[in-house]
Amino acid sequence: MNDKAPSSKPVGATADWSNLWQSMAESSNRIVEAWSGSIAPFMMSRASEKAAGEVNDLSAAIERMAQGPQLADVWDFDRKVALAFGAWIDLRARLASYNAVTSAPWTEASRRFLEAVSKDKAEGTGTPDWRDMFAKWAEISNQELIKNQRTDAFLKAQKELLQAALQYRSRQTEVTDAISALFDLPTRRDLDEVTRQLTELRREVRALRREKEQSKGQP
Amino acid sequence: MSDSENQAARFAREIAANAEKVFKATQLIANTRDEEVKVGTTPKHLVMRRDKVELFRYEPLAQQTVSTPVLVAYGLIGRYTMADLQPDRSLVRSLLNKGLDLWLIDWGQPGRNERWLTIDDYVDDYIDAAVDRIRKETGHDRVTLLGICEGGVFTVCYAALHPEKVKNLVITITPIDFHADVNDKAAHHGFINLWTRSLDPADIDKLVETFGVLPGEFMSSVFSMMTPMRSLTKYNVDLIDVVDDEDKFMNFLRMEKWLADRPHHPGEAAKQWLKELYQDNRLIDGSFELSGRKVDLRSITAPVLNVYALDDHIIPPDCSRALGGKIGSDDYTEIPLPGGHVGLFVSSKSQGKLSQSIADWLVARE
Repeated sequence: MNDKAPSSKPVGATADWSNLWQSMAESSNRIVEAWSGSIAPFMMSRASEKAAGEVNDLSAAIERMAQGPQLADVWDFDRKVALAFGAWIDLRARLASYNAVTSAPWTEASRRFLEAVSKDKAEGTGTPDWRDMFAKWAEISNQELIKNQRTDAFLKAQKELLQAALQYRSRQTEVTDAISALFDLPTRRDLDEVTRQLTELRREVRALRREKEQSKGQP
Repeated sequence: MSDSENQAARFAREIAANAEKVFKATQLIANTRDEEVKVGTTPKHLVMRRDKVELFRYEPLAQQTVSTPVLVAYGLIGRYTMADLQPDRSLVRSLLNKGLDLWLIDWGQPGRNERWLTIDDYVDDYIDAAVDRIRKETGHDRVTLLGICEGGVFTVCYAALHPEKVKNLVITITPIDFHADVNDKAAHHGFINLWTRSLDPADIDKLVETFGVLPGEFMSSVFSMMTPMRSLTKYNVDLIDVVDDEDKFMNFLRMEKWLADRPHHPGEAAKQWLKELYQDNRLIDGSFELSGRKVDLRSITAPVLNVYALDDHIIPPDCSRALGGKIGSDDYTEIPLPGGHVGLFVSSKSQGKLSQSIADWLVARE
């Protein structure tokens, strides 16, 4: 970066402001290029997979242990808690993978934004207004985030996160059902069964009523 | 002071002013009571209640120009208040001002107790009961149905299964071909279609088995994801633009109130919606069944008006347009309007266009 601005460029505080943007753009571009060209993304990816792999191993070990044969005289509440814990570990791993996928577009958005700022600067479009700058940043980021959402990697990570969250929730329910049973309280499943019967009964009553009304209308 | 110094001073002033505005916005939000933020205020009275479902009749606001009663049916994702957000942004108020006899079926707040309700129940029981009641109250043999989004699918199914009770069918922002999003080139259109197809049918079963419903909060998060930057900026940067204008600020809060009011979708109906329609696309191919009967679009003999939004990111236009040529009626009209899925109903720009299009079309068929 030149210390002295050319005479055609703005002077004083505006020049400082303008040069600051230019400097930021150039520095950031260098950082992005260095990052992209280095082995860092590969290492980050491997590290993420390794971490996920380790917690998956732990989760699988708990699953194997808890899915052993049920013994008649051994209370299996501990087994239910262990399974819920295993599901929680798996959920954390899926969340980490999801976060890795969703953070990717921000790098590209930054690169594109700084490129656009540099271009404006080179074309001498003047000191940027914060509103214009923010609108540009929001537009580029929105495009990159939406583009990312349509990738197979995102859809896979999101699906696996959903599956893990549902598994964790259902394991939690098994624990709370066991506690409810201990205190002789109805479980959510009991209530679901009641509402199922109620819904079916209501349908039958209404169908009978319709039949009756139709038969009344006939000669 | 030189130009450059002026600009630097202006920049500093803007930063300070924005910080002050964000602070003011937080104070305004803190000092506003929820009861002051009113939505769905157009006067109406309760006519019938069936389980949690309620049938309302709106009070007339003008001399009647169309005598056939019009039943408004919203979907189970979100509430009907989108069509009556505030007096100057209200489809129902505009239609009443044009002399329509307007009725509303409100699904209420389904919860886990409604887990076992199916689309069959909504179409063949709740809508059918409402239509029969309207016929009885007004003396009309047939009614006009006005469906919105998922409610549009319900009314399409009803018109196909009960054509003898339907005089006209008006659908707005309604998906018919759930796979037509693949034709849409706009990247921000059709994420829900893509996302739903990325899931295994067993994932949807598990979701419903786990929660008993398709949770409203879950759908809210999917919708937020579709407009990522808007979701990140609406409680901070965007407030700067509305904080000094009370009308705009209250509009923002009313919109937030509508967004927050997102009931759970009954579980079994959600399975049909996501698996049979979004994944298997059964409505368009004629294999979708309700109460043991196939929904054959060719059985729709009433005149049909199909209104869709050109920038609808939730229901891409091609998904709606697919109805053309598939029905049994020759009287089919499409009206594309500028705007998005929600903007069609609530934006200041679209006010008047939607209601005028519907009223003109109905008057011509009275």
